[in-house]
Amino acid sequence: MTAKRTMTLNLTDAEMRVLDDLSARKDITKTAVLRQALRLYQTIDARVERGEKLLFENDTTKEKAELMLL
Amino acid sequence: MTVEVSKVYLLDVATGEGVEAELRDAIEQAQIDDWAKHWIPVVLAAIQDLVARQVPRADWPQSLHWNWPKKITRVQGMLAFPGFSVVAQGVTQGLAQLDLTRGCQEPGQKGKPLVYVEYLEVAPWNRSELGATPRLRGVGTVLLTAAIALSYEEGFKGRIGLHSLPQADAFYRRIGMTDLGPDPACQNLRYFEMTVEQARAFFEKEEGR
Amino acid sequence: MKFERSKEWWMARARREGDAVIGAGLLAFDPIPEERPASAPTAVVEETRIAFGRFVNLMRRRRGFSMERLAQVADLDASELLVIEDDLHYVPEPRTVFKLAETFEVSQQRLMQLAGLAAANDAGFRQEAVRFAARSEAVHKLTPEESSALEAFVAVLSEQEPKRVK
Repeated sequence: MTAKRTMTLNLTDAEMRVLDDLSARKDITKTAVLRQALRLYQTIDARVERGEKLLFENDTTKEKAELMLL
Repeated sequence: MTVEVSKVYLLDVATGEGVEAELRDAIEQAQIDDWAKHWIPVVLAAIQDLVARQVPRADWPQSLHWNWPKKITRVQGMLAFPGFSVVAQGVTQGLAQLDLTRGCQEPGQKGKPLVYVEYLEVAPWNRSELGATPRLRGVGTVLLTAAIALSYEEGFKGRIGLHSLPQADAFYRRIGMTDLGPDPACQNLRYFEMTVEQARAFFEKEEGR
Repeated sequence: MKFERSKEWWMARARREGDAVIGAGLLAFDPIPEERPASAPTAVVEETRIAFGRFVNLMRRRRGFSMERLAQVADLDASELLVIEDDLHYVPEPRTVFKLAETFEVSQQRLMQLAGLAAANDAGFRQEAVRFAARSEAVHKLTPEESSALEAFVAVLSEQEPKRVK
């Protein structure tokens, strides 16, 4: 196992509910949810920094919506 | 970034002996150098042979490609894109690049995170498709095992996915992965996924207890 | 990430891998161009192509397989097998030829040459293919003559091409 450090996290009830829900739906631990969130945030941030846009496309309507970041 | 090194063993095809090797949880400059200095000449020689035999371009073995170092360099330092390399006898024997941002496709685990194997390649002298007898056996297995082990470590319970090269289809089926068929979004390469149960079976088979 | 197992654990896996070529991902996959370059000596290609169709037909029947069964076993489309056996002008997909070589346990390279997807650099191989095609008939039951022609040709197909002298 790669060495890891522990950190205390303060979350509101609403945030805690989201974390619980994601953990259950994705079948991963709460720690894994947060680490996944960090990976995705870094990935998206790096691409936006390179000048790319983050778009969501509706599969049926082909409607596009841009997610504004930063 | 510190690279973690695990000791693994490969099979020397000529002697039948075990060869000690390193499984490194990164692809570093040394690997890119090995690729340029050692992999490419072997690939070039193979291409010359194909040209001499007038084998049509469409029938050359896969993975005679050129541009991966650029792509590998681009994702260095990114948490979502870890890499693995296998080093033995002083040279890189195989490489794998992973992607942790994707979700499962298999109906029973759809949408759950997995370790997606973006790229996996074994050094040309270890591949039987290029004509000569492979030197070391087991490199591909080590890399695949590493991907599954990473899936466990990340809490993804052993789930992995990959687009197989046609010669590898039979191998992925043999180790128990689910074949989800050709993927038009990926040049019709077949997409394979390993479920939690399949990953458990993959490890238990050789544990012997 | 650290992952430690015993030497025996790894060796068992390396042995199990056999000669499998393991690879994954578009990065390791050269895009295969849509159009296949026209093979120069057409007549030669056709001779071996006839032998290819015959070979698939006889090997299938020797195992008592219907086309559907062979398609299932080799993970191929039954409709493609039909045109391989019956249409001499149909050029099969490289993947199909590979799967057939795997199923019939003959050299992939040789079968590619027979299917007209690769050029053979030894004339002897072409002669063998023509001889085989001439000796076999696409009928319903394998005659003893067909069986022996098939046996002889399987032996040729199982050999690798002779190494070229540089």
